[in-house]
Amino acid sequence: MGENKKKRSRFNPNSLWTLPSAGLLLCLTIAPLIMLLIFSFMNRNIFAGQVWPGWTMENITRMIGSGTFWKLLGKSLFVGLGVTAICIVVAYPSAWAIAKVVKPRYRSVFMMVVILPFFTSQLLLIYAMMNLIQSGGILTTALSALHINVKSILYTNGATVLILVYEYLPYMILCLYSSLEGINDNIVHASLILGANKAKTFANIVFPMSVPGLLSGILLVFVPVVGSFVEPGLVGGSNGMMVGSIINSQYKENLNMGYGAVLSCVLLIVLCLIMALISFATKHAQKRIGGDV
Amino acid sequence: MSRRFNRTMMVCLWIVLAFMYIPIIAIIGMSFNGTPYGMFPYTFTTTWYSTLFSTSNLPAACWLSLKFSFLVALAALLIGTLTSFGLQYYSPKLARKLNFLLQLPIIIPWLVTSISILLLATFVGAGRSYVTMFLGNLIVVLPYVVLLVNARFLEMDRTPEAAAKLLGASSARVFWDVTLPGILPGVMAGGIMSLIVCFNNFCLQYYLAPVGVNTLPMTVFTRIRSGYQADLNALSAIIILIAVIIVILFSRMGYSAGSLFGMSSGKKAGKGE
Repeated sequence: MGENKKKRSRFNPNSLWTLPSAGLLLCLTIAPLIMLLIFSFMNRNIFAGQVWPGWTMENITRMIGSGTFWKLLGKSLFVGLGVTAICIVVAYPSAWAIAKVVKPRYRSVFMMVVILPFFTSQLLLIYAMMNLIQSGGILTTALSALHINVKSILYTNGATVLILVYEYLPYMILCLYSSLEGINDNIVHASLILGANKAKTFANIVFPMSVPGLLSGILLVFVPVVGSFVEPGLVGGSNGMMVGSIINSQYKENLNMGYGAVLSCVLLIVLCLIMALISFATKHAQKRIGGDV
Repeated sequence: MSRRFNRTMMVCLWIVLAFMYIPIIAIIGMSFNGTPYGMFPYTFTTTWYSTLFSTSNLPAACWLSLKFSFLVALAALLIGTLTSFGLQYYSPKLARKLNFLLQLPIIIPWLVTSISILLLATFVGAGRSYVTMFLGNLIVVLPYVVLLVNARFLEMDRTPEAAAKLLGASSARVFWDVTLPGILPGVMAGGIMSLIVCFNNFCLQYYLAPVGVNTLPMTVFTRIRSGYQADLNALSAIIILIAVIIVILFSRMGYSAGSLFGMSSGKKAGKGE
């Protein structure tokens, strides 16, 4: 409250310009989340035009008892962690190359090339990749010309992971790049000259200084990957379901919106917990190493 | 770093770029291929392009998406710019908190956002409609505008504004003649970014579009599910071409791509004050 008073003493009327978006935020983010929570306790489907539904705990008990849901949630988290890890490992060298190796005047050209896929539709990217890896497509034809016979991975979980990596890699490269670019070359040189090897230099200098970019990269990749339902549905085949697919089917096929609301709530809570954990762990690691960013 | 190390890094970069671009180049190639299903032998043809513009339902969906995203982007641009402007007059601590709240729509998975907005809309009685779809897409793209304009405010020299005020200009005049020209690149970038995110946002439109209305992402989704589509290749090629043009325009505006993404710029905006 004390802070409130201090604020009023130098209140500027210009700050009122934030009101429209604060209103939108309240009506379109906060209020819907509250609805999600409320609908978790409702037993009917208002989409079907039924009268005001009653209260129930049935959705919650069904969710807790549902083996499929927990299995798929586990699988989605696993896929999310896997895809994020692959993205980090692949993106670090590329981001380093653009930030430190490429001549400064070509840097923006490379960055343009990296963000270009982001500007085309994600569905088109999925479609392009599907075409490439389908059986009888370019990849299998080229491989069979070399007398290597492989089965197409399309319609397997592997295809889902491949396409998710393909879609989200640019985000990770961009985030890491923006952090790596800010590292002063002299610090890296100093560390190497003073006798630290590359691994040590990476752990003590480069990594701590890239943590802000890494964190936003993880956020931008992990969350949408865990919540994805389009990719598993299109390329995952019959065993490809993820937690997003089961939530989606509650609305598009089963029309069981109360149950879908519960599942969404749980997904959101789990994601928040994991993100908080990752953010805490990374910041802790950063502090212990002694990086001050 | 040693030369060999740097060369290894460059090789990694090229491999990644190849991974990113082979599917895209393949689809452009296939859009001129007479043999259907993306298979061989390869015969050159432009039939799919004429199909696209005569019998296909893709251009209509594309046009609808374009009009719709333009409206959303325009609204996001107006509200977002004002928000970022207002944020500059908050105490740094409060600004950081509001910034975080504004980024919530990016952090929450789109699936959950769509479902929760659909529930609210059904509850209020609006259901699936153009208004619902508009509002849903608006709240999702708004953070991008705020982030980009915030970053611009951070780089900008604010003293001319004080000078203009001191010399007797009204606040509206100061904003229009001094502030706005300074943040214009950020505003434009935010607008383009919103346009693109909204144009491509399948999830929200899938849940919130009025029944029977198909935007481009929804049409593409249905088409992919039903199998290979040659006119889709042609459309992909055209969209990629447009994307190339937009990206070049974007960099001409002086926008480094890194500043587009990342909460880091938002954090800096809080710290810098």
